[in-house]
Amino acid sequence: MSDLAIELAGVGKKYPYFALDNIHLEVPQGQIMGLIGPNGAGKSTTIRIVMGLVQQDHGEVRVLGRSMPAEQIAAKWDIGFASEDMRLYEGMTLAWHMNFIRSIYAKWDAPYAQLLLKRFGLRAEQKIKGLSHGQRVKATLLLVLARRPRLLVLDEPTTGLDPVARHEILRELTAVMTDEGRSILFSSHNTQDVEQISDQITFIDRGRIIDSMDKEAYLDRWRRLRLEVPFGIALPALPGVIGIRQNGRLAVATANAFAPDMANAYESSGARVQAIETMTLEEIFVANVERSREEVEA
Amino acid sequence: MNGGVIRILILKDWRLHRVQVLLSLAAGGVALALLQLRDEAAFLIGSVWLFVSLIVLGSMLPVSNVINERKKQSLAFIMSIPVSAVQYAVSKIISTVGMFLVPWAVSALAATILALSRRDIPNGIIPFILILFGLPLVGFCVVAGAALITDSEGWTIAATIVCNSSYGLIYYFLVRNPAINGTFKSPVPVWSAAVLTILAGEVLAAGLILGITFYLQSRKREFV
Amino acid sequence: MTDGFLISQSDKRPIYLQIMEQIKQRIAVGDWAEGQAIPSIRQLAVDLEVSVITVKRAYLELEREGVIVTQQGKGSHVASIPGLGLRLQEQELEKHLEQAIRLADLLGIRPEDLKARLREAEGRIKKEEEQV
Repeated sequence: MSDLAIELAGVGKKYPYFALDNIHLEVPQGQIMGLIGPNGAGKSTTIRIVMGLVQQDHGEVRVLGRSMPAEQIAAKWDIGFASEDMRLYEGMTLAWHMNFIRSIYAKWDAPYAQLLLKRFGLRAEQKIKGLSHGQRVKATLLLVLARRPRLLVLDEPTTGLDPVARHEILRELTAVMTDEGRSILFSSHNTQDVEQISDQITFIDRGRIIDSMDKEAYLDRWRRLRLEVPFGIALPALPGVIGIRQNGRLAVATANAFAPDMANAYESSGARVQAIETMTLEEIFVANVERSREEVEA
Repeated sequence: MNGGVIRILILKDWRLHRVQVLLSLAAGGVALALLQLRDEAAFLIGSVWLFVSLIVLGSMLPVSNVINERKKQSLAFIMSIPVSAVQYAVSKIISTVGMFLVPWAVSALAATILALSRRDIPNGIIPFILILFGLPLVGFCVVAGAALITDSEGWTIAATIVCNSSYGLIYYFLVRNPAINGTFKSPVPVWSAAVLTILAGEVLAAGLILGITFYLQSRKREFV
Repeated sequence: MTDGFLISQSDKRPIYLQIMEQIKQRIAVGDWAEGQAIPSIRQLAVDLEVSVITVKRAYLELEREGVIVTQQGKGSHVASIPGLGLRLQEQELEKHLEQAIRLADLLGIRPEDLKARLREAEGRIKKEEEQV
């Protein structure tokens, strides 16, 4: 019995103008994986395949040990799914939705649901059509969270939310980790949120996985080196450096496989290392996407 | 089969369309009240109203119950629940047909009883009344079938237009047919071969359309 | 226990370093005593609303530096080393001094001249305190 909450192996899916290609993804149990990538990269498609809503052309998908999409009904008993394009029934109240979910799943933590109503600032008697966008997102997440499912699959859970609402949701998502048997897969293009709460990060662009690894190790691989390059010195091309921008005597090298001896290599060539800086996930995101675009154009 | 979830989905649809069904029952009630009156104009208005309310219900329900759930993206919410595409499709057929049949059956029954109870209305009209009630039933099956099978608002509206335009024409031919109208004034209902054939045809048509719809829905692989 | 921990977005340093520093600060000033039990990795992650893996890394590094001890199944606690708080404060000072020397080097100031600069800074601080 594998202790992977989600396992995608060699998954591919073809559409007229887009294709997911050779997707390998592993979400260990008890961890949070953040899926990031530009718009149209394939995040939503990947998530739909995980949920069994879209059938892959080839490749294996196992979620909580069940094969998807064949066993999707059995799997859904333990999965809480919320996507950005999901809408609740406008004419009904939040309380009606809570009862609806409660009547289907035996597992419903009523005290926690009440606590969430308070934390999210929602009133159960209110009709969905009277809620703002942020409140609707929180309502949808409440319906998922109160069931305390073993796995949460969330497509853009914080998109379009104000900072307070985002914080309320991040708080509940990290609280899920109190139980080491529970896992989360979420997609976002808010790199700050992903950087803050993810244990694993997967980077996807144009239907391909660019990187997928442990967040801390990933952040450790990226560095920005600020260099002072005297006139006439040519900077060596180092493996692990994906780009150098030079303007006059100042240069910035971006490394995605940083090794401490890189500084020595530059210094031996005559340049001076002014600073070695860590990069935020947002900066890494941009660097990754730019590089992937350049490779395609080349 | 996950019977529990199907039942919950059907009840959900009923709850969501409570207002529509109640309104159509109310309209039917008003129409029937008008039919009680001796005034010929009131009688005419009442009978037209009765059928119109059934036709409107039959046209609106498939769009409101089937098409809109997909359009308004509540479908994603339903897909997150442990239910297969087939189970969802089956629950939709049952709830849509059920929500129409109840007001329809009540109206048909009430109209028949009314015709039987009023002494100034010859009972020979009853077979014709039943034939007339069969029309919105078949029409509904066509529109519901179109909505369930195509999932397309465009095709459903097209089916609605075709059906609604046909009613007038069919009524015209029926009422002029001597095999039908010959026995209007008879004091007892006359079940002639022509009448029985038409009634059987209506039941068969409704059953066939629903049967095909059911069969096609049960083979659905994906929600999308 | 974890009230007052502040993980700042504007702080350019990685989150695990911020966590390490704030834990060391609490030990340095004596809020967290030697040998005292501290929150488990998971609990701190939830309280700070950060990933478990980040707290794990912070705890690992702290353990490597001998500041905390984690026992399988028993949780974590501050190392039972007398004078740990003082040692951490001194480490802070040494870090600042090293940084000053590196900066001076960047500016082309020699270590000998640094002493004069130190005295000048001391004078400025005294003046500020008198004005208050």
